[in-house]
Amino acid sequence: MNRALSNPLARWGFAIIATVLLLALLAPLIAPYDPDAIDVKGILLAPSSGHWMGTDGLGRDVFSRMLFGARISLLVGFVAVGIATVIGVILGALSGFYRGWVDMVIMRLVDVMLSIPTFFLILAVIAFLTPSIWNIMIVIGLTSWMGVTRLVRAEFLSLREREFVLSAQTLGARNGRLIFRHLLPNSLTPIIVSSVLGIASAVLVESGLSFLGLGVQPPQASWGNILTDGKEYLEFAWWLSLFPGMAILLTVLGYNLLGEGLRDALDPRATKNQH
Amino acid sequence: MTRYLLKRLFWMVPLLVGISLISFLIMHLAPGDITTTEAGFNPKASEESRQKLRQLYHLDEPLLVQYGLWLKRMATLDFGTSFASHQRPVFLEHKDEKGNVSKGMIQEALPITLLINVLSLALIIAVALPLGVISSLYQNKSPDRAITVFVFVGFAVPGFWLALLLMYWLGVAHDWLPISGLHSLGYEHLAWPARLWDTAKHLAIPVFISSLGGLAGISLFVRNGMLDVLHQDYITTARAKGLPENAVVYRHALRNAMLPLITILGLSIPGLIGGSVIAESLFAIPGMGKLFYDAVLMRDFPVIMGILTIGAALTLIGNLLADIAYAWADPRVRRGVTG
Repeated sequence: MNRALSNPLARWGFAIIATVLLLALLAPLIAPYDPDAIDVKGILLAPSSGHWMGTDGLGRDVFSRMLFGARISLLVGFVAVGIATVIGVILGALSGFYRGWVDMVIMRLVDVMLSIPTFFLILAVIAFLTPSIWNIMIVIGLTSWMGVTRLVRAEFLSLREREFVLSAQTLGARNGRLIFRHLLPNSLTPIIVSSVLGIASAVLVESGLSFLGLGVQPPQASWGNILTDGKEYLEFAWWLSLFPGMAILLTVLGYNLLGEGLRDALDPRATKNQH
Repeated sequence: MTRYLLKRLFWMVPLLVGISLISFLIMHLAPGDITTTEAGFNPKASEESRQKLRQLYHLDEPLLVQYGLWLKRMATLDFGTSFASHQRPVFLEHKDEKGNVSKGMIQEALPITLLINVLSLALIIAVALPLGVISSLYQNKSPDRAITVFVFVGFAVPGFWLALLLMYWLGVAHDWLPISGLHSLGYEHLAWPARLWDTAKHLAIPVFISSLGGLAGISLFVRNGMLDVLHQDYITTARAKGLPENAVVYRHALRNAMLPLITILGLSIPGLIGGSVIAESLFAIPGMGKLFYDAVLMRDFPVIMGILTIGAALTLIGNLLADIAYAWADPRVRRGVTG
């Protein structure tokens, strides 16, 4: 952890993510208003000392909605990537460890999934289900495991030929022990890096879906659906567009910086471009 | 080369089968079947349209038969007709008994999306290639740092948000660019240079928005590729024999660094096609993305399934073209030499 945070990129990323996480966790304590409280006398108020980020078309306090929206973004990011990582690690491990036809089948499945435009795939699944925060998380998870699978497979293929693994095998270690004690722990760094980067893209996809009205459904606040309002009132209320967009940008930037920083700090091979 | 091509074509068969399976699976994801309200099927929909859907996908047949019929639909590119009141064919035009031709929906939308994607790819190459090269030549100096910041922001900025800001700034506040549709009113009465200019103005922001991720990604890719190549022995040799630096960079290094770029551009096609949903629906451009978005909102299943399949097929074709280009550019590949 110390080594990871010695990297300036990782430090900045960590600072951003920690701030967003803190704000999200403390949302009920910090939020000056109930995020869903409608105030017909105070619609589309510009930012002021009373409403730091103004109010929306129903008079709801945008700052409070932003805080609660942060929870959605973080939750969707974590759960979706959690699902993708579990699937990816299992399939990648099977593929890289057993090779042969298992590898063949799994890799063709990866190719197939990669050939369908991801956003189309996600929208098609949502069309057949109903949009809700849980469905969004599951769908994003089920459509983003291919990268992790290839990564874990490549790690396993190379680690499997290494001497410490061969010697463990010679000493009679069973497959399960080889996988969980030797191969998986040594593949952890790239898995963590790709998960952190994966959260960034999950946050982007969720906000895009919610913006299109196919993600988190109102009245539940998410950064994406605040932006939908922003589009509605583009000419009169710049604050409805500016703040949620900045929040998404900063959060995604934070995860990307953290991911790249961790890669630089933890993976000796990734530094080859820094002669 | 022919053998390489045949081999490559042969590899597409299992992929096509896989795509048919995945799309078939999606159709059966819904609890019960897709004509129940749990699946989001409009409860007000008439019994007639329910019957139509059951008939279209043969939902009353055994699963295996259903799949076989779905395969047949894919193979014959016949995705049925839309559920919308106009009942147009999903993919290709159809002539009825009276000789009336109704144009296919995808057939009409596809060229528009292809145009946007080709323009995006051109923009990506025109901007990202020089950025990446500059970045690599000034490694860790201020130009490199500035470009790296651009790359990180480009990766993180939500395209639809930037689109909103540009819409506001260029379209609402200043009225410099139109913010909706593909053509202005009265387009038909314009001469061709004015038509071209009109279309260009309509496409400027959407093309920029759809190339955003690619701009960042390809800049980074070219930079890292160049850095790799610049440290190879043959570059040292080229420098040692006294070649001017320009010749070293552009003739020896860039050409080699660009090889993997072909593959990456091929791989970026699904992202571009998928990304068209947001740009096109935001700017009301009647391409595949908007068609798909509208179909999802209306639960127009034949259109959804058609676009899903055609989108995947486009990706496969894109990858195939990239592989052919790669083989053409790199003799090692087409002669089957490895390493």
